[in-house]
Amino acid sequence: MTETLVEVEQLRKEFGNVRALDGVSFAVDAGEWIAIMGPSGSGKTTLINILGGLDTPTSGRAIVDQTDLARLDEAGLTRFRAEKIGFIFQQFHLVPYLTALENVMLAQYFHSTTDEHEARAELERVGLGDRLDHLPGELSGGEQQRVAVARALINQPKLILADEPTGNLDEANEQIVLGLLRKLHSERHTILMVTHAPQIGALADRRIDLHHGRLAPAPARV
Amino acid sequence: MFLRIVGESFLRNPRRKILTAAALALGMAVATATLTVALEVGDRMAREFRSLGANLLVVPQSDTLPLEIGGVDYRPVDEGAYLREADLGKLKTIFWRHNILGFTPFLDTPAIVYGSKPIRTTLIGTWYEHRVPIPDGTQFTTGVSKTHPSWQIRGRWFQDGSSEAVVGAALAARDPAHLAIGKTIQVRPSEAANPAWNLLVTGIVSTGDAEEGAIFVPLAFAQAYSGHGGEFRRLYVSALTKPADVLAERDPRTLSPTEYDRWFCSPYISSISYQMEQVLPGTEVRTIRRVADSEGRILSQVSTLLWIVTLAALAAAALAIAATSAAAVLERQVEIGVMKAIGATNTRVTALFLTEHLTLALAGGAIGFVMGTALARFLGASVFGVPASPEFILLPIVLALAALVALVGGLIPIRRVAHVDPAPILRGE
Repeated sequence: MTETLVEVEQLRKEFGNVRALDGVSFAVDAGEWIAIMGPSGSGKTTLINILGGLDTPTSGRAIVDQTDLARLDEAGLTRFRAEKIGFIFQQFHLVPYLTALENVMLAQYFHSTTDEHEARAELERVGLGDRLDHLPGELSGGEQQRVAVARALINQPKLILADEPTGNLDEANEQIVLGLLRKLHSERHTILMVTHAPQIGALADRRIDLHHGRLAPAPARV
Repeated sequence: MFLRIVGESFLRNPRRKILTAAALALGMAVATATLTVALEVGDRMAREFRSLGANLLVVPQSDTLPLEIGGVDYRPVDEGAYLREADLGKLKTIFWRHNILGFTPFLDTPAIVYGSKPIRTTLIGTWYEHRVPIPDGTQFTTGVSKTHPSWQIRGRWFQDGSSEAVVGAALAARDPAHLAIGKTIQVRPSEAANPAWNLLVTGIVSTGDAEEGAIFVPLAFAQAYSGHGGEFRRLYVSALTKPADVLAERDPRTLSPTEYDRWFCSPYISSISYQMEQVLPGTEVRTIRRVADSEGRILSQVSTLLWIVTLAALAAAALAIAATSAAAVLERQVEIGVMKAIGATNTRVTALFLTEHLTLALAGGAIGFVMGTALARFLGASVFGVPASPEFILLPIVLALAALVALVGGLIPIRRVAHVDPAPILRGE
């Protein structure tokens, strides 16, 4: 029987008078790869931020791995992010003065304790075994994003949230990162990925389309 | 990992930190310099002030009321109480003995000096540079050269134990033909007294005070002349003291044991006087207010000025740190946001920034201490003619002050770290 990892019910988020999410409901099973799509300002990133514990809903429920995020305080959300979420950002967001290895170890440090051997292994898994001691500024965009993927995976999160993970990459690097996501999916990782590109969205198991903060009428299984 | 993050942040992102450390180093340099000078200035200025003359006067407790005209005691020699010269060495045995820079006994006795006409005056027996035996077996050289350094002598002072005299300038002016250097003068205690005593005038002294109407002779001569062997009437003491504060003004009998210890072990005029009275029983120590008051006032004012400069330097450093820290937090918002997004608690991120600040404080404080010590040497050399020596006792104080300034200056920006919301920052807003 497939386990439901993410459950969203009547999720609303308002920024002043702007309604970013307006009664969104859906569920994601463990091991699914979901593409969240929609035009700019449709609420994709807001949805990802709420599911990642970076933001709180105005109303409704968001349950991830049986944790109702609305019930967590700030410290609880921090712990939730450290233990259950792996973020991959469009802008990579690596700490500029730490090496590739140290950036991965940083996530370990905030989770529990560091293990350099494990961090090396994770970077080798994303093909960066020869770039361990390089600073982000010394890496290409694709390499930086692979470091970000390694950082997202190092604590074995329940859910990987990727916000436009290939949005800043050239085609060659895009293929490398998408290859990594495919591999993660084959390893039964649950991935929620925001993307604009239909051909990338097509790689996912399922699409969730957002328009003006609402689910589009017929999110289709791909 | 924590130290690794801090270390890498210093090594690879040093620009802003150099600015912060520089602000701290400058502030701490000024603070070190002023504190070093403040530590030395009390001692140095007190020594400079000692050139003004004695600041304590010791008289017998049971003395009769003095018959003083213009500061000279005109009482007959058989009136009033006397003190023992043999006890004077004990002054160099008190707790604050090293602060007793000099002491000079005075024995006043009436005299008539015979020149072109008889003139009634006073013989003042004293020391110029006399070796006093101390109970520990050493000797201490003292006399008016130490307690009255401002007196101007024309000619030379008398030899100890001789029949030589130094005439006060005002008295010499009354009979310049006979009361002159190289002349022998005759003195008698009274017109009826015989025989007369002969004195060779070796110098004319200007004191700027009433003693200018008297004749100075060696103490031993005055004792033999007056029949008070081994005695004197008053003692001038030049002592290094610290300005009086609330504790100094209190009656020692009302102090608690702790307060009493602190009072006894501080070189207040009152505590030194108290210790002197203990070794010279039957005496009363009076403060020469004219000297002691102005000395205390100036020392307090200089000390206050130095404290104000120190506080201003520290405040300026704190403001500079506040500005650079605010800019640094703004510049590193993304980094803070990322750390929070991947699970860093507010405490951990704040601790990172605090550690950076404290490390900068230690570095800036240490550099500032070295710079400030050099500055103090320069200031000491310019103001006192002697470079101020490094005060290593100030190093931990300066480092603690640097830490305090860094924390106070960085408090508001670092508090902002805890309020950084990662979501909008990571969206690029």
